[in-house]
Amino acid sequence: MSYQATAQRLEAGAARDADELAARLAAGVDMVIRPIEGGVRTVAHQLEEVDPPPEQYAQRIRGILNAWPEVYGSTIAVEVRAGDPAARAFAPYYFRRAGAIAYSDLALDSYGYSKLPWYRRAADSGQPVWSAPYFDAGGGETWMVTYSVPFFHRNPDGARVLAGVVTADLDLEWVRRVAARVRLPPFTAGWLASPPSPHDFVTPIGTSDSSGAEVVRAAAEGMLSKGGTFGLMRRQADREASYLAVRGLETLQWRLMLVMGRSQLLTEARDVLRRQLWLGVAGLILLVAAISFVATGVSRPIRRLAEAVGGAKDGDLDFPLPEPRRDETGVLTHALLRLRDSLKLHVQMRAESIAAQTRLEHELEIAASIQQSMLPRRDSQRLPPTLRVAAALIPARRVGGDLYDYFVLRDGRLLFAIGDVSDKGIPAALFMARVSGLIRVLGTAGESPERILAEINARLAEGNDACMFVTLGCGTLDPADGRLRYASAGHEPPLLRRSNGDIEEIATDNGAAIGIEAATEYRAIELKLAPGETLVMFTDGVSEAVTADGKQLGSERLGRLLVDDDPEKMVQRVIDALNDRSAGMHVDDDLTLMAIGLASRERREFAPDLARDGVRQAMAWLRDMLAGVLDPARVSEAELIAEELLTNVSRAAQGRGVRATVECRIGVREVMLVFRDDGAPFDPLAQAAPRLDDDIEVRDVGGLGIHIVRELADHVGYSRENGENVLEIRLNRKELS
Amino acid sequence: MSLKIVLDPDRPTTLALEGRLDTHTAPELDAALDRMLMSAGIKRLIFDLGKLEYLSSAGIRCFIRARKILEPEGGKIAIVNPQPAVQKVLDIVKAIPAGGLFKNIAELDAYLDEMQRKVREGD
Repeated sequence: MSYQATAQRLEAGAARDADELAARLAAGVDMVIRPIEGGVRTVAHQLEEVDPPPEQYAQRIRGILNAWPEVYGSTIAVEVRAGDPAARAFAPYYFRRAGAIAYSDLALDSYGYSKLPWYRRAADSGQPVWSAPYFDAGGGETWMVTYSVPFFHRNPDGARVLAGVVTADLDLEWVRRVAARVRLPPFTAGWLASPPSPHDFVTPIGTSDSSGAEVVRAAAEGMLSKGGTFGLMRRQADREASYLAVRGLETLQWRLMLVMGRSQLLTEARDVLRRQLWLGVAGLILLVAAISFVATGVSRPIRRLAEAVGGAKDGDLDFPLPEPRRDETGVLTHALLRLRDSLKLHVQMRAESIAAQTRLEHELEIAASIQQSMLPRRDSQRLPPTLRVAAALIPARRVGGDLYDYFVLRDGRLLFAIGDVSDKGIPAALFMARVSGLIRVLGTAGESPERILAEINARLAEGNDACMFVTLGCGTLDPADGRLRYASAGHEPPLLRRSNGDIEEIATDNGAAIGIEAATEYRAIELKLAPGETLVMFTDGVSEAVTADGKQLGSERLGRLLVDDDPEKMVQRVIDALNDRSAGMHVDDDLTLMAIGLASRERREFAPDLARDGVRQAMAWLRDMLAGVLDPARVSEAELIAEELLTNVSRAAQGRGVRATVECRIGVREVMLVFRDDGAPFDPLAQAAPRLDDDIEVRDVGGLGIHIVRELADHVGYSRENGENVLEIRLNRKELS
Repeated sequence: MSLKIVLDPDRPTTLALEGRLDTHTAPELDAALDRMLMSAGIKRLIFDLGKLEYLSSAGIRCFIRARKILEPEGGKIAIVNPQPAVQKVLDIVKAIPAGGLFKNIAELDAYLDEMQRKVREGD
């Protein structure tokens, strides 16, 4: 193989890489934008089907912003019809400003949305459409592009009439920042550009020098108009030949252009080749030197052979070898020939595999970072203090088909979901991206878990040519009372860990997996999570992990791993166990585990300082401990019990230092309060009940306190233990209504 | 979490209590009662508990103390409007004698009218 041929092959490979890189970058952008388009269309579709009153529009707009951090602003603008009071100008606009969501009213006459292109084009064409770049004065106050989707209502006579337009805006400054973050290979420059319009938008990809963009853009438009995507172009400035790769984006209708200098490419190729060959040739020379050392003075043919090999120029593997003779040196010559050929093959294969690997790495890098960004980050949302959520997702490959999500709804409930796409890799990740977006949109709009499953299924089952499906579990948990609603589409049933450590499998009303049959209805189950209880959801990567005995882990043995009260520790222990290859664990699927619990306030102790404000502090502490555990009236009675008992202890101490503690144990069926003090032995239960008649005296009041305690508690017991008075109070837990 | 004592000039012998009457706030009520009971001749002292959320034995002690001061001079105390949680405590200790506990002001007024009528007919 000649030097020239190798260089040409490498050049062709690098050029092909540029072409493919353009395709992949374009696909990467589409991958971010397409779910947004789908989400806006879903909202439009919902407006048609559900027809919510305009007061609820704000909630749905916020849903879009909540689902996609990429979206800058969004509105639902109502079509105005003269004489129809239901069709007055109405367009609440929510957009991001300084890290918060700001509001602006687009229905003001000064803005006049119904005449603006972003509204008009969607309204007139009846089709979803991306706007050209524009500055949104009076709205988002920034340069942006807008995706507008019209929605329709049916007249009483059945005619379909335009009802309005749903939009999502992309901030062009954001596009600029994202494009600048992409890393391009050396000697490559790239641009992202809107189609020609009054306000063109062109932004460099990576750290590309923005000069020359116009020439490249003109060449790219020319190339696209001829249906081409790749070719040589000559830049007039330096007359240097460059490769140009161009792609039209499927989503934004924009172009993505990459330019690679040819001469630099050749230099690069030469360097790579030289590095590759140097090792091979050095090896050959060493080998031949060793042989000739052994054979020196024995055989001239061997020396000639050595000269031939030694004379091989840098990078040239096509050196001539003498004709093989019919003796031992001939055997050596044949061996050298085979070595030379296999070295050539090796160099060629290595160059190709490096190129292929780089391509794959790049593709996976984009997909993995997009996927990671979709998982909820606990620090980014404020969970109610009593809620404990922990989750882990470990893809078997760089990108996976598992998903989980959780977020707090406006009414304070937690919405959570876990899912497993039937495939792995990029296609599964794309499918997963759609599901994640839909969960956010529908969840924020206030849909119930079973409706969310049905809606997602309706969307994904349509035109599901790849026949992919996803099993999905989705639920809501009200942290105030532990009420839990859960629906399942073919997903593994969750486990419930009781506060005493018992594990139960939840019987779900399981429906078909999502994506199979468009018209599927799902039913939810309801249960109640008590403090200290944890709901554990997982994908089959967890339950089907193979253990040392060669059998699958299964949910029963998984249950035995759930020994921790704290969801965080629980998830960590399971993941550690599954990753423990030394214990013979074998995993070859994505692993996802999510645990949701109400904080266990099971057993806490408080030591009030009775000399100071201890009684009041103990009452406040108890109120916090029991909030949500007992109904408010019962919490107030527990406070009253604490006040009466601690006041008695304090009074009996008569200024002498007494150490008192209050312990609170929250069980499944009862709450136990234990009051201890190291004062003189005193059994309040042994005292006679106060005379409750008209002649009650002020001095009887101490007896009144203990009488109140006995009447309010379900059980009171006294004992003297280790020099302490111990008073145990039991309050039975009734079902919270 | 505190106690508010509201005095209505139109009803000089009525104390409306709001919030919590417990070990910590009972001394405030005692002090208010002492000021009020300095003027002799109060026939009926009324505690309006419509906005009282919490009552412990320390608060009940205040009511009993007021009774003990008034009764030698022929006065009585009445409690109106107790909310369920407070009512429950009052029921447990039976600290307010029969004829001293009223659901609301109207019931109290009706009772007082009846008493006046009886007194007149008795004359």
